[in-house]
Amino acid sequence: MSDNLSLLIMKGLLVFGVLLAAAFSQKLFVGDQVLRITASNEEQIALLRELGELEDLQIDYWLSPAQPGLPVDVRVPFHSLQAVKVFLESNTIPYTITVDDLQELLDEEKEAMMMSRKFERSSNSFSFSSYHTIEEIYSWMDNLVAENPDLVSKIQIGQSYEKRPLYVLKFSTGGVNRPAIWIDTGIHSREWITQATGLWTANKIATEYGKDASLTAVLDTVDIFFEIVTNPDGFAYTHSTNRMWRKTRSINAGSSCRGVDPNRNWDAGFGGPGSSSNPCAETYHGPHPHSESEVKSIVDFVLSHGNMKALLSIHSYSQMLLFPYGYKTELAPDHQELNDLASEAVAALAALHGTKYTYGSTIDTIYRADGTTIDWSYDNGIRYSYTFELRDTGRYGFLLPASQIIPTAEETWLALLKIMEHVRDNPY
Amino acid sequence: MQRQSEARLGPLLLLLLLPLAWGKGPSPPRAAEELQVSNRLAGQAARVALHYLNYRLGSPSALRALGQVRKATLKTIPGIGHKYYLQFTTEDYKSSLNVGTCLATVFYLKRKPRPAVNINCTYTKDQKQIREDDYSFYKKMRQQTKPIIGNDIPDSYGNIEPALEPAWALAVAGSSYLMWEKSTENLGYFMAQVKNVKQWITKDDSIDFDYSVVLHEIPTQEMISCHLRVIWTPGHPLKVKYFCLSENQWSESEEGSGTESGSTNGIFNEKEAHF
Repeated sequence: MSDNLSLLIMKGLLVFGVLLAAAFSQKLFVGDQVLRITASNEEQIALLRELGELEDLQIDYWLSPAQPGLPVDVRVPFHSLQAVKVFLESNTIPYTITVDDLQELLDEEKEAMMMSRKFERSSNSFSFSSYHTIEEIYSWMDNLVAENPDLVSKIQIGQSYEKRPLYVLKFSTGGVNRPAIWIDTGIHSREWITQATGLWTANKIATEYGKDASLTAVLDTVDIFFEIVTNPDGFAYTHSTNRMWRKTRSINAGSSCRGVDPNRNWDAGFGGPGSSSNPCAETYHGPHPHSESEVKSIVDFVLSHGNMKALLSIHSYSQMLLFPYGYKTELAPDHQELNDLASEAVAALAALHGTKYTYGSTIDTIYRADGTTIDWSYDNGIRYSYTFELRDTGRYGFLLPASQIIPTAEETWLALLKIMEHVRDNPY
Repeated sequence: MQRQSEARLGPLLLLLLLPLAWGKGPSPPRAAEELQVSNRLAGQAARVALHYLNYRLGSPSALRALGQVRKATLKTIPGIGHKYYLQFTTEDYKSSLNVGTCLATVFYLKRKPRPAVNINCTYTKDQKQIREDDYSFYKKMRQQTKPIIGNDIPDSYGNIEPALEPAWALAVAGSSYLMWEKSTENLGYFMAQVKNVKQWITKDDSIDFDYSVVLHEIPTQEMISCHLRVIWTPGHPLKVKYFCLSENQWSESEEGSGTESGSTNGIFNEKEAHF
């Protein structure tokens, strides 16, 4: 019972909050003024209180009349200004105009807020140790490209269900259709540490090229394609409505439940027991493989590129490095090599902050999962297919404190670099 | 003739006696299988053992999280269930510092709803400090005239208000009961978030909290909403009542022993607390 009541109250508060927010973004205060009044005796205080009770005037006390001598602040709507001023003057109650036009003040304030965000948008004053919105991320990406035009470009590979652009950053030092590494973060929108790590990592690649010998050697022969916000609809939803949203936001025919698990929608063991056929489930595989535009766009891009040598898909949480298969127990033909490389990558990661990862095939290490990204890429000839599960192991889970973003990104970088070096040194 | 039959009887007798001899000492495992330390079922079983421990200890300051599995064996008992024998390290829930190693058995029985756990741990954290921390939280809560309330702990950005941290820890302890009960060999849980906390001011010695929590279920990835009522007096078993949205009735913890489905050992059965 109390559950229902508290739910009702919370809903009511939410509605109120939304209305309030909507109200403040409209031009409701044009011409309104704020007056500061100083009542000199109790009689004047009483008069001010009576004034407040006149409904037609709709004055709004910000500092209520309490005692003589204490300031009284009042917002007076434009239509009541004459009447209120006449009242005050005829009762010899002194006042000053502290805000001449409230709407102007609000507009200035809003602009100032936007300006400070714009300042953040120069890519190196951007804070990597906080979580950002889509707009902030997309804007940062444009800055990165603008600041590193010889290395970074932005490609749109498609659109999400709700028509948001799907952007991929291409890091390349030239050549034509060089062998390439694909990295994606944020395919599961609630895994915020991944998009945040993606940002830091993209920045790292751009800033370390020409400085870090190993990365430079990688980029001199191999291209990197990086999709930071792989599920933008879900991501927007985690900001606006439900922090724990995982799937896409597509509408499912015949169901009130939305969304498909983008990591069960790939054509590799699709529809098996390691996924769900229920649209309301978090691991719903979707009506058919690649039904989700977020997935199809990557499939089309990777296949038409034709020269991807590694695919690294970043998730959280669990602290694991996984390789195929998830849909069957049979060992991948490259199991030994993948296992050895995983072992090295995980050791490099642990060396920085002591963070311990387990590694192995998906089905052995985490659980059976059908229709996953890396099983599809592996079955399509991309040998170095790995899933990362970043920090932590369950304490904070999806709600990882922002203070852990940079340490997580730094350690993950070492594992990524290990894999990239291996790709560079083992062409196939 | 007689000597020959005696000679035959000898080894026969020995064969008959062998099972008896084996029955006396620790019996060899039937169909026992050593598991990789990275095996997910081993890790899952270790977590179940820790849920049980955290619930039984009933101490917000002594919560443990899984460090690493060091050794894992699985014994299949046909018709009865699966029993995991585990050795693992543990970390302090809050600080992540290593706080000792545990040996545990986790028995998933086909005919019983929740896993039977036996767990023994070494402990490197100062017991006196734990009691003091528990007591200082307890005292602060007893002294509240206005009930503590809060939501979204941690918030979307992973922040936990310092003032609400002990209430969050108590939620972890209470949720541990519920997660232990709900765990199966294949379904595991993490406490993802406290959506809501409300304290009930009581006239007796206990502190009393109402929680709405969200559990993360593996491997289904579902987020399960549960309502928890946790009543606590330091040094006494936690009293927990819960109701999860997919269920039809409240489930409640037993008072006291719980020996029928598991046990903890030695230093952890301290019922007296020296305030």
